[in-house]
Amino acid sequence: MPERYIYWLEELGQEFSPLVGKKCANLGEIARIRLPCPPGFAISVEAYEYFMNETGALQEIKDYLVQFKDGLKTIDQFDEASREIRRIVEGKALPEKLRGEIISCYNDLCEKCEVTEVPVSTRSAGPVSHPGQYETYLNVKGKSELLEKVKKVWSSTFNPRSLSFRTQKGLSLESDPIGVAVVKMVNARTAGVLFTADPNTGDTSKMIIEANWGLGESVVGGEVIPDSYVLDKESLEVVKKTLGQKTRHVCFSETGVTEEETPTDKCSTFCLSDEEIKEIGKLGKILEKHFSAPQDVEWAVDENLPFPQCIILLQSRPVVISSRKSPVDQVVDYMLRQF
Amino acid sequence: MLSSAYDLSFYEFDEENDPKQYGVLLCDVIHGKPPMKPLYIGLGWYWYYHGIRYGAETACLPTSHGWDSRFINGYPYITAIKTTEEERQAREPLFRERIKPFIEDFDGVWSSFKQELMSMYKEAKESRGLKEWEDIRKLSNIDLLTFFLDFAYIINRKEGEVHFIMLMASYYISGLFQQMWQDIFGVEAAVDPNFNKIMAGFESQAIAVVRGLWTLGRRAVELGLRKAFDTEDNEEVIKNLGKSAAGSQWLKEYKEFLLEHGWRCERMHAYDTPAWVEKLSLAIGNIKMLMAEEVFPFDARIRRVIEERKRTTEEVLAKIPEGQKEAFEISMQAAQKSGYWSEDHTYYCDFYIGALGRWIITEFGRRFAEAGCIDAPEDIHFLHPNEIRKAAIPMGRINLRPYVERRKKEWERNLTIEPKPYYGDISQAQSVLKSDPTLAVSTQIPIVREELKADLYGAASAPGLAEGKARVITSVDNLSELEPGEILVAPGTSAPWTVSFNIISGLISDGGGALSHPVIMAREYGIPCVAGCVEGTTKIKTGQRVRVDGDRGVAYILDR
Repeated sequence: MPERYIYWLEELGQEFSPLVGKKCANLGEIARIRLPCPPGFAISVEAYEYFMNETGALQEIKDYLVQFKDGLKTIDQFDEASREIRRIVEGKALPEKLRGEIISCYNDLCEKCEVTEVPVSTRSAGPVSHPGQYETYLNVKGKSELLEKVKKVWSSTFNPRSLSFRTQKGLSLESDPIGVAVVKMVNARTAGVLFTADPNTGDTSKMIIEANWGLGESVVGGEVIPDSYVLDKESLEVVKKTLGQKTRHVCFSETGVTEEETPTDKCSTFCLSDEEIKEIGKLGKILEKHFSAPQDVEWAVDENLPFPQCIILLQSRPVVISSRKSPVDQVVDYMLRQF
Repeated sequence: MLSSAYDLSFYEFDEENDPKQYGVLLCDVIHGKPPMKPLYIGLGWYWYYHGIRYGAETACLPTSHGWDSRFINGYPYITAIKTTEEERQAREPLFRERIKPFIEDFDGVWSSFKQELMSMYKEAKESRGLKEWEDIRKLSNIDLLTFFLDFAYIINRKEGEVHFIMLMASYYISGLFQQMWQDIFGVEAAVDPNFNKIMAGFESQAIAVVRGLWTLGRRAVELGLRKAFDTEDNEEVIKNLGKSAAGSQWLKEYKEFLLEHGWRCERMHAYDTPAWVEKLSLAIGNIKMLMAEEVFPFDARIRRVIEERKRTTEEVLAKIPEGQKEAFEISMQAAQKSGYWSEDHTYYCDFYIGALGRWIITEFGRRFAEAGCIDAPEDIHFLHPNEIRKAAIPMGRINLRPYVERRKKEWERNLTIEPKPYYGDISQAQSVLKSDPTLAVSTQIPIVREELKADLYGAASAPGLAEGKARVITSVDNLSELEPGEILVAPGTSAPWTVSFNIISGLISDGGGALSHPVIMAREYGIPCVAGCVEGTTKIKTGQRVRVDGDRGVAYILDR
């Protein structure tokens, strides 16, 4: 049994990806190089395995899956299996050791943030990324709520789309160990994404920012048309600004988050100032240099902090350049795959 | 144990550790046989190996830092210095930026390098008041020495760097297009006739020079000088021409031509064979071979080659899926230019720099011998550049014989040694070649397809079928043995062999890949060719009837 199942972000770095998942490892790397990111901790992949074994959930799932010896096929079967397996997983109490560690870390985090029940986000962090497959819970407050949500993130590895993905890839259905990132929520006035290279053309001399009011979920999810900015990477000057409609935004509710209409005056105003844009770009360049590849960065502007401390990085990963790239870039891509 | 290489300590081979570190080291038989002499290794070849590292590091090749090389028994062995996974990741984005200009406008990049090289050579000559070959005798010892040092440390270095940054780009682009081809059509591009048709029909400087020689030949006919060429001995031809006014006029024009285009030695990658501009009779054989042709043979075929290229290009493009079409076309255009570059650069790089080197070195050899530092002018080829510098001023104080003797003995011994094809674990050759595709300049592996039941399988080919009498020629010096319509069987061909393409009907070569001289020239001339079949010159005997199947890249011996 490992000594512990939880690591503070600042203890981590890229090389910890197999232990805690990519998202946690990358956040750890950001913390390690002292760029601004929220405090938090990572629940290791081993914790998932420990939980599944120790509680007997894994065996129950295996027993349950025996009936589908020809594999899952129909949507109904995926839905049914998902419901049953998630019931099994979420019905299990956390083993005492794990429960103790999570609570102790959460307490420490509250103390660090000087809040009695600090709101956190709980997100999945797979050793290989499965974007959009698993579930995220935002604005989680208090110990019992947190323990519930951690379990739910784990059990989301059995949601219908994950089961169907694993079936398609011929992977084992009975488990898919992941880590969980537990990170303090940023009270975001504005949030969004930054690409340190144009994902559409592959142009690496430009950076693209997309932003909306409130939490970043609306931008990441693609439900609204955000403001967009094109920066010259060298000088960090804004070369193009496009006002988005930004009709809705995501904000905190009592627990969790909610999506609301945006007042019309805010719709017609840019949600970032020029100095904020520059600062985001500057951080992006540091990340790109550090990771040696164009980055897709999630960031937020904290309403409670002064500039420039208010710019907080939430995630960084390599940009996925779309196939609408210039033919020359496509040729180079082809080349890089060959040699 | 370290094996010494003419005292060039940095090329010593460590029998125990080198194979362990690199997996495998492959013998560069294409350039290294017969074995190079120490001075060329320490000068021309020195900068080529530097150029390879420079090219790899400047282009930021993701998987290779360039080649590492060792000399064993005087033969060069090469391997890739692979990058680590971390380095690969860091280099990829830089490589992406650096390779782009070559994909977008390969010819544009090359044109400006070409100009840079030519004006550097011109400046080196003009600033010293040199024009003709004999002019170098006028230089004082110190002026000759500074010319040598400029050549050794500036001119040659620059040439090596340009040469190899272009070569890297050329190989990556051409290799990529071949891979794309194979992914789309499921056949090896190098032995697919359609691929070869698409790559053909671009006139390089190598062909332009041969065209110039043909023009001179026709001019001789026009001036009624044909009879002067009716002798085996090319020196005799020059003498004959000197006897008449028309002949002297022709010689004047010929000399002018050589002063511009004759900066090339008989053998590439050596300083010990004469240059055209030095020994006027050298290019006479080429002229003889061509002067009977009323139309330049290349021109007779080029129209068909270009038409066929256009038609094949349309057919091929029609089969490419819409989403890939643009990328395919860009890659194709860059690959066509890379192929053409392979032939074009020899004139501006290997030839010119080799002849300049010979010019200076021969003169030093003459002066050292005259001053009693060495026994004969040719002994200079066994010295190192630094020894030349130390002994040049004041001339005649240093006895260089002990250096020469030892190395000469070793070189003579090496001449009798058949080099081992590789050291280390040959099963790692594919992975080494994959990490640095430019190694294919010097190595190639035949594509064996047993179902074709051929006698020889090529690594690459130029399309078409030819049947005829084989003529095995192992040295460019014997090229005049060729008779029109024969199938040439050679260890490999390089630019000095170009003239033969005007009279042969097919070609089989032991060396050569898709970017090699035999394949590119055969394509341009519309001659069927199978290259890289390793054993052509050993399996085939002169006089045997052979069939060259360039469409499938194989050859058959019809009577035995």
